[in-house]
Amino acid sequence: MKGRWSTAAWVGLVALLLFTPITGLVLAGYSVELHGQRPLWLACMAVLGYGLFSLPWKRWLSELQRSTRSEEVDAPPRVAGSRRYGIALAVLVALALPFLLGKYGISIATLALIYILLALGLNIVVGLAGLLDLGFVAFYAVGAYGYALGQHYFHLSFWLALPLAALLAACFGMLLGFPVLRLHGDYLAIVTLGFGEIIRLILNNWVSVTGGPNGLSAPFPTFLGLEFNRRAKQGGVPLHEFLGIDYASEHRAIFLYLLLLLVVLAMVYVVVRLKRMPIGRTWEALRENEIACRSLGINHVTVKLSAFALGAMVGGLGGVFFAASQGFVNPTSFTFFESAHILAIVVLGGMGSTTGVVVAALLLTVLPELLRDFADYRVLLVGIAMVWMMILRPRGLRQRRRPLFSLPLPKGEGP
Amino acid sequence: MDIYIIGQQWVNGLVLGSTYGLIAVGYTMVYGIIGMINFAHGDIYMISAYLTAIFLALFAAMGLHSVPVVLLGVLALTLLFTALYGWSVERVAYRPLRRSTRLAPLISAIGISLILQNYVRISQGARNQGVPPLLEGSFRFPAEALDHRFIQITYLQSLIVITALLSMALLTWIIQRTALGRACRATQQDRVMATLLGVNTDRIISLVFVMGAAMAAVAGFLVTLNYGSFDFYVGFLMGIKAFTAAVLGGIGSLPGAMLGGVVLGLAESFFAGFVNSDYKDVFAFSILILFLIFRPSGFLGVPEVEKV
Amino acid sequence: MSKFSQLVRVVIVGLLVLCVGHPGMGMRLSHAAEPIKIGMAGPFSGSDASFGEQLWRGAEQAAADINKAGGLLQQGGKGGRPIQLIKADDACEPKQAAAVASRLVDMEKVVAVVGHFCSSSTMPASTIYADAGVLMMTPGSTNPAITERQLSTVFRMCGRDDQQGVVGADFVLNRLKARRIAVLHDKTTYGQGLADAMRARLRSAGHTEVLYEGLTRGEKDFNALVTKLKGVQSDAVYFGGYHSEAGPLVRQMREQGMTAPLISGDGIFSEVLVTSAGGPGFVKGVYMTFGADPRKMPAGQALVELFRKNGYEPEGYTLYSYATVQAIAAAIQATQSLEGEKLAQWLRGHAVETVMGSKSWDGKGDLQVSDYVMYQWDDKGKYREVE
Repeated sequence: MKGRWSTAAWVGLVALLLFTPITGLVLAGYSVELHGQRPLWLACMAVLGYGLFSLPWKRWLSELQRSTRSEEVDAPPRVAGSRRYGIALAVLVALALPFLLGKYGISIATLALIYILLALGLNIVVGLAGLLDLGFVAFYAVGAYGYALGQHYFHLSFWLALPLAALLAACFGMLLGFPVLRLHGDYLAIVTLGFGEIIRLILNNWVSVTGGPNGLSAPFPTFLGLEFNRRAKQGGVPLHEFLGIDYASEHRAIFLYLLLLLVVLAMVYVVVRLKRMPIGRTWEALRENEIACRSLGINHVTVKLSAFALGAMVGGLGGVFFAASQGFVNPTSFTFFESAHILAIVVLGGMGSTTGVVVAALLLTVLPELLRDFADYRVLLVGIAMVWMMILRPRGLRQRRRPLFSLPLPKGEGP
Repeated sequence: MDIYIIGQQWVNGLVLGSTYGLIAVGYTMVYGIIGMINFAHGDIYMISAYLTAIFLALFAAMGLHSVPVVLLGVLALTLLFTALYGWSVERVAYRPLRRSTRLAPLISAIGISLILQNYVRISQGARNQGVPPLLEGSFRFPAEALDHRFIQITYLQSLIVITALLSMALLTWIIQRTALGRACRATQQDRVMATLLGVNTDRIISLVFVMGAAMAAVAGFLVTLNYGSFDFYVGFLMGIKAFTAAVLGGIGSLPGAMLGGVVLGLAESFFAGFVNSDYKDVFAFSILILFLIFRPSGFLGVPEVEKV
Repeated sequence: MSKFSQLVRVVIVGLLVLCVGHPGMGMRLSHAAEPIKIGMAGPFSGSDASFGEQLWRGAEQAAADINKAGGLLQQGGKGGRPIQLIKADDACEPKQAAAVASRLVDMEKVVAVVGHFCSSSTMPASTIYADAGVLMMTPGSTNPAITERQLSTVFRMCGRDDQQGVVGADFVLNRLKARRIAVLHDKTTYGQGLADAMRARLRSAGHTEVLYEGLTRGEKDFNALVTKLKGVQSDAVYFGGYHSEAGPLVRQMREQGMTAPLISGDGIFSEVLVTSAGGPGFVKGVYMTFGADPRKMPAGQALVELFRKNGYEPEGYTLYSYATVQAIAAAIQATQSLEGEKLAQWLRGHAVETVMGSKSWDGKGDLQVSDYVMYQWDDKGKYREVE
């Protein structure tokens, strides 16, 4: 116990030292103002925080885990009964959600679904194939701009743009995949980061085509050729007149949400199936040991490329939906921070676990919105939450239980 | 093309590259020892910029005006406090994750980066800050030039280049020649074995973060004096550039970081100066990608040999 | 009971409390003086947070002043309802702007919105407000496209980039008599819009710029670009962008021995420019366009004094957001209504007395009179109008 107290004293002292210059001395022009109380308060809070953090959170969490533990990944394709009910319930709730929430709720839910889609895509690349991609936002941007540009120049409808933009993104995935085949780990990371930045910069600089920083508008999808607007454009019939109901701007938000939900469910299904198919097994095998795979005659080129292409395609789909839901695309939506955010979802979700990714995406989209009441402190709290969640659950919300046994890490790998 | 313009772009690129190099050291050392990309490093640099300005203002308020005293005093204090920040970040956010997956610290680092940025924004305000010019004047070649026909390097710019080289030499000496450095290298090569042989690896890792932060502090100090302007967001872009430099030079290699920084700085300067500054960053990232394809371990990196 | 299930309970109860306490989710007992909610949307975090601070200070003060005077919708001198400002952070990011816009409309049920700031945020947000029939007036988005779409409830309290660029170009050509003009921008919606307007005016006057290039926001080293400016021997440099880049740019120009004047727009209209350039010595002689200084207008003098007394220099957009709140309040008071369409209709037909003088709007929602004038910085770090 005595050790605890002296550590707490150290924490207080270090905190005081840390906080004094930045919070206690505030720059005003070329001089400083003294705010003596702030570092003292913060140091007290740090000591308090130390006390809180040293509570046995991990043990509590593992108790929670024990009480709710369910089989994953290695369960046979036919899921256990309780799990099936759980999934059905989740889908039902998701279906009912837009009718319960207001427009704001729907827009957040739509955003959450888009992030689920993006995280599913990145999960294929990072979680399953083990290729660290820090520029996933590039494919997202390709999808979004694919739709906006296609609409602008070729008058592609949403329904045509959806597969085309996804294909385009997949092509970009291959394009990126080829040169990076030779690269490992973190060299791969920086190359993908660079690729993401290049795409964004080109979108921003090529004003004559992409509209540069002004962005492009992206129209809302139609439903069987019927528009969701109050008044239809040239000669069309708006949906609400066709159905004989009153116009409400919520309708199209609900429509997009349900459409997106459908796509997300389909993607979840595809990804879950893929994991059990030979290609999915090969991805995971390649992640675990590339050399062993290659010596067993697995063609690492096609395997890696297929992971990149598939991941990019899903990201592209997310982009199309993003553009359609925002009605507007602009390069500021596709910064590196967005890539980091998606990666955070995947890692928090547990690298390769589909359920985990879905939960993490919901968490990381809804949490910042809930924190809006804290106004100034919102992003700070998001940061603290990220660090804390990583410390509590370094392997993510759902821990992967494959491989069943693991060899000690070879040198130079793993922190 | 005017010879003076070309010469001036060499100077611009060299100065810019030296600052990249100094910050890249932090990335390269941390990566070398625990294989982690420390995304919060750019924000450590940002903290050091604020510390520099705060201590400068404090010295001025105390009535100290002798330039060498102020410079050395502020540098020492900035170094100390930035190092403390580097140490605390490692202790709080990365050490608990030592035995987990390799991506966990990466996410933790992104969280820390958010925390540091907003911590500074809330306590210091969002506005752009600056420091008054402290050391003015420049060397010009030729000395008596008419019009714009000269190449110049300001005193501060030359200080940046010299300090970067000196601190890099000092660091290399520490790593290569001292017992401490030997322990660092041992930890880098095989952490488990080093622990068995009596190296306190946790302490060594802390020390690496402290050294990285100290180099970022040197960079923050010099850059702040030279450009005189910063805000809570400067760490982000600088961090990405420096990381790029570290990879370009071969991540894990100290001289490589410096070389990568200078090459990146020169490439940016020349492209912006003679082609188009809109696409400067596109060019920088493109050479990075192309270079890595043909030489996947950077300029001075040792190619990874995978043993089975 | 284990410690753990206790913990779970505490968390659940906490969440319930949070939900009920959450505005819009729980029921709120209303009294006679129910506040009128007005959204204040802008960048309160991220790289443009300094502008958000200016906006918030102004709007906050305006709401406080109006509330002190008895609030809005008072009938026979009593029963006035106070204004409640809802802070909504968009970080100048379109995605977040759209999210907070629907939050303001849908959950907070605001009557009107002051904001947003960045043109790229205002664009997607304004469609949401227009769709919901909520009045929106931006104090700072100058991109022409915002009002060109003719959304019925969208207004602005500032000028447009095309007007500002024209003033800048005419000044450079006629007063400075510069002929080798370089046009730079920061690749943002605002900065590039301004630079494009400038360039268009130069070209229509028969001049071609010697250089048209963008720099990266957030960087501090523009030495390579400055050397290039020296290389093309430009005798005037126009910069579309914000003070955080303009400061280092002008400093590096002077350090490299360039004497050509720098001309910019309202993005550098802040005394932070002096700090970020490294002292008054560097910004001396820099020109910029801005509306006639709101701080100098007789209507705003008392207010400016009040701000200064509270230790805040009401620079940049502070008074703009103050005036925006005033305009919205005036419309509510005159129409005795909280419907966006009605308020918008009233604003199109009437002039409002604000701290920045009398303002009136045209059919598109732009100000009838834009009063851009040229300012110059002096060697003491202050600016004054160019006669």
